[in-house]
Order: sequence, then structure tokens, then C-alpha cells
Amino acid sequence: MEDAILKFVKFDLQIIALSWLALAYLFKIYQILRLPRPREVAPLKGSQELGVVYSYASLFLPWSMESTRRHLWRWIEFAIYHLGAGAAILATFTIPFAPSMMTRDISLAMAILVAGAFVMGILKLWRRTMSPDLRLVSIPDDYFSLAGVEIFFLFTVMALVTGLPGWMKAYFITTAAFLFYVPFSKISHYVQWFFARAFFGLRFGRRGIITPRRAMS
Amino acid sequence: MTEENNIIQKAEEELKKRYTRNMAVASSNLCVHCGMCIDQCHYHMATQDPKVSPVAKAEHVRRVMKKEHDWLRRILPWWVGAGELTEEGLDRWVDAAFRDCTLCQRCIVNCPMGVDTPLVMATARGVLNAVGKSPEILRELADAAISREENMEFFKEFYLEQIKSMEEELQSKVGDPKACIPVDVKGAQILYVPLSGAHTIMPEAEIFYHAGTSWTMSMFEASNYGVFLQDPVRAKRITERIVKEAERLEVEEVVVTECGHAYATSRWEAPKWFDRPWKFKVRSILEVMDEYIRLGRVRLDPSRNNGISVTYHDSCNLGRNGGLFKEPRRILQTCVKDLREMTPNRRQSICCGGGGGLVALPDYDEVRLKAGEPKARQIHATGAETVVASCDNCRHQLGQLNERYKLNVNVMGLAELMANAIVPQKKDGISSASA
Repeated sequence: MEDAILKFVKFDLQIIALSWLALAYLFKIYQILRLPRPREVAPLKGSQELGVVYSYASLFLPWSMESTRRHLWRWIEFAIYHLGAGAAILATFTIPFAPSMMTRDISLAMAILVAGAFVMGILKLWRRTMSPDLRLVSIPDDYFSLAGVEIFFLFTVMALVTGLPGWMKAYFITTAAFLFYVPFSKISHYVQWFFARAFFGLRFGRRGIITPRRAMS
Repeated sequence: MTEENNIIQKAEEELKKRYTRNMAVASSNLCVHCGMCIDQCHYHMATQDPKVSPVAKAEHVRRVMKKEHDWLRRILPWWVGAGELTEEGLDRWVDAAFRDCTLCQRCIVNCPMGVDTPLVMATARGVLNAVGKSPEILRELADAAISREENMEFFKEFYLEQIKSMEEELQSKVGDPKACIPVDVKGAQILYVPLSGAHTIMPEAEIFYHAGTSWTMSMFEASNYGVFLQDPVRAKRITERIVKEAERLEVEEVVVTECGHAYATSRWEAPKWFDRPWKFKVRSILEVMDEYIRLGRVRLDPSRNNGISVTYHDSCNLGRNGGLFKEPRRILQTCVKDLREMTPNRRQSICCGGGGGLVALPDYDEVRLKAGEPKARQIHATGAETVVASCDNCRHQLGQLNERYKLNVNVMGLAELMANAIVPQKKDGISSASA
């Protein structure tokens, strides 16, 4: 029999936190959309649509940017970190709502992904602390968000590997705390990311700058 | 109210006016301070100074925007890096936006998030201009362009005299006494907009002559210093002179000379400033030259360029901001036998350091030439004898980089190179041969 606290943090608290996150994001999106957007009116040279598709796809094309070509390791680090984050977030849904899915093998596979992300997070923190370029621009939220996500990853791994109520409680309480904090932090960058990549694709696609190679030839 | 308060209030009002959807996204916590843009900026490449990285420069502006818009701005401003706008802060913006950034756009194409740092820096320029903190020389140059139209009668006679003497030079070069540089011709197909000086008139006039183009010269120069200031009133006023001229002459298209910012402005930005569609299209001279080659309107012989080895510098405004990558390369491939690409090139090309109006600002000469070092290294690595640039500001900068870094190269425009390679055709029994 599951104890009452675990039940609360696993279900009620998650639903409250998720509802808050959804509301906060809806408001964030509303705040962006109500602003005027300067439109390009000059005749097209390339394709806006292909530009937007390419812009979103560039996340998966490390060779498309000089920055990710030169720092391929940083891209790999980014990929592992975000895959791990995805797995950790997914587990917050599957553990309470689809427990039959969480077989030993799946739990272990997810734990390995999250552990990989944890290691990448350590590297990120180390770089932010050591690099003068990054130290200059870093704000408290940068360090706190990174460190906080590391704790979240750690509890995720422990909860997935052990399945013990204590680790489960720590995992779900951390998740909820994060869901409350995320809209105020840099972690919410992925909301603006959709807008930013669309703006980039529209402008650079329209001007024939990032149209895919085949369409440009 | 003190003068400082007045400036701050004006700056805040200007920032508010410029707070569009794109600016809201660019100045939010979309930037996660990952640092991927840092070594993509030519200033940072040249100096390794953390203060001139794109993210560091944008943070000056972003902290003020966060003070106004971030959700935690009131209770924990320091936590999210929000800060008040102060006059000292605005002085730091001057260095960041006018001295340490050419708005080359290399940071945005290399940002995994798509943070529009050039928009943030351009906004800073606009705000600084509104409070009178933009470089005076840029304001004077913009005003001089506007006053040219207002005092056209004064300029016209002198200008026509200059054109007349260039026309004689053209006639002797092509061997045709009927060759002309037309001015104010109603119904011409092309209104060609040059820069000040014969170097953006003579090669093009020769190309137009050999291609049999119906064209007329603009009374105005293409450059628009209002754009460097991010001053919408001045920028529109400068463009408006050419729009009115094109409509009065009923031309089919306006063709902009080899000038990066003038092309990007006329082709892409300026149409937004007018509340009506234009009756003409806008092209770069590069697109026209490329078309002449593809349609066989001019014959070219690359051996006429004496077997020189050439490398092409992608001007940021023509390429990364204007979309002209293929055209100059197709032209070069027919004009020279030895074309060597710099690495990286096209969308990833490194700025020469002369953009954003910097070549007109002598106070920043040292910084500008230092920032051009990565480009100098790129040129040197190609081993080419000639660097071709289709932007006058870039050519000016490359010429100075040539001296500073002892590159021992020749800096040329593309029209000049193409004019050299033209094989003269007989016209009405008269040879148009120049040699």
C-alpha cells in the first residue's frame, strides 16, 4: 500500500504543478503574440516555408552551423543532456500514470540516459565556472538552473534504479518544485525557441539565405 | 528634470517603441548563455576579449529589457540579470553597438537557439541615435545625403559635368563616339544607382554598353547612413529620393551598385517603410551582370584578366543579409580561371570588420583594423593575388587590411573584373574594342 505522502506528490502535486506550468506558458505565449511583428514585404527570393523547416531542422544538423561544426563535442553534450532531460520528464508521467510500462529494462534504459545527462550537466557547470567568457555573462539563474536540474537528474536516476518510496518522493517533490520555478527561469527557453527559429527561418528563407542546397542550385 | 533623467526617459520611450515580437523574443531568457556564439564573432576571434563576444555585447541591452519585462524583475532583479538604464550604461552601449559590432549577422546564423543578437544591437543603435549618442559623423553623412536632394539645383550642374567627362572616357575606352552615360532618361529600363566616384560608374557603364542596356544614371548615391544609425526617419528619407526618381522616370527596375548595405536596404528593408508597393523592382548589379552572362548578352574571356588568381569576399550585407551567393561566383567563374574560395565562406563568411558604418568612423580605426585580422588570415591562406569584394566599404577595409597585414594582394570590384574580361563586339560597323 502506497503511503499517503507518496500518493499526493505522485498525483495531486504533479497535476497542480503541471497546471501552473501550462497557465504560465500560455500567458508567456500571449505576451509575445500581442506584440506587433514587423513583416517583410519585399518580393521573395527564396522560400519562407523551407526556411522555417530548415531552421527547425538545423537543431539536428550539427554540420549546418560553423559553431556546432567546430565544437561538435558541445553538440553531442547538448544532445545527450536534452535526451536525458526528456527521459526524466517522461518518467514523471509514466511512473504514476502508466506503471505497467516501466519494466525493469525500460527503467534501467531511462536511468542510463538520465545519468548521461547528469554527467553532461557537470561538464556544463564546470565550463560555466571555468571559462572567463561564460563567467562574464552568467547570472545566478544560470548556475541555479543547472545545479537544480542536476539534482533533479540525480533523484530521477535513484528513483528509476531503486524504486524505493524515499527516492520516489524526492524525485516527485523536485519535479514539482521545478515545474513551479521553470517559467521564471532560463529553462523556459524552449518556449521562445519555437518563435525564434520561426522568425529566423522566415527572414533567412525569404531572402534565399538558408534555403536548402537542392532548392538553391 | 535633470538632463540625465531626460536622456534616460527618451531612451526608455525609444526602447518601448522598438519592443516588437522579435525583440521580445531576442531579449528574453531565450539566450541561455551557452556561449556557442562567442568564437563566431570576428571581434572575439581577433582579440579573445570576453567583453566583445556577441552574448556579452547583447547583455548590456538585454539586462535593461529584463528590468522592464522579466517576471522576476521586481522581486529578484539581480537573479535574472536585470538592471536599470543609466547614462553610463548608455555609454557602454555606444562601444558595444557602434564600435564592437558591425551587425554582420554571423552570430545569429551560428546560434543554436536563433537569438537575434544583431536585432538587439541594432535596437541599441536606434536608441542611442534617438538620444543623440550616435556618432556625429554618421549623422552628418546621412544629413548630407538628404540635403543633396533639397539642393539638387546646386549639385546638378557639377554632377553633369563629371558625368560628361566620364562619358568621354567611356567613348575612348569602347571606341565608340556614340557611347553614353545617360542621365534623367524617362522610360529607361534600368535606373542605376552608383556611389560617389567613378569606380562605381565606369565599369558598369562599360558593361551596360556592351550588353546594349536601356539605362539611366541616378542623380543620387546608393549609400544610406540612416541605416547604420538605425534612424527610420533619415533612412526612409534617403531611400525616398531614389523611389521618387524611379517613379518619375518610370523605370522598370532600380539597380543598386556594388554596395552591401545599400542593396540589403533597398531590396529587403526599405519596402517595409513605405505604405504602398513600389512600381519597380530592385536588384543588385551582381544579379544584372549574372543575367547578362547567362543570356549571352556579353562575351567574356577570362584570359583577358591576365591569369590572376582570385578569391571572393562575401560581403555580409550582400550574402548573409541579402541572399547573393551564387551570382558573384557564376560571374567570377566566367571572368577568371583561378578562383579560390576562402574557408569558411557564403553564409558562414567572416566579416571584414568594415561594416556597420565603421569605415566612416576614424575614432574606431584601430579597433576596426584589429577586428579585420581573421579576414586577413583567411585571405592569406588562399594564396590568391586578388581579392574581389562587391561592397565599397568592404573594399576600403580590405585595402587597409592589405597594408596593415602585408597581404600583398590587389583589391578589386566584381564589375571592374568583368569589364576587363569583356570581348568587344562590333556594333553598327564600329568596333567597341578598347584595347
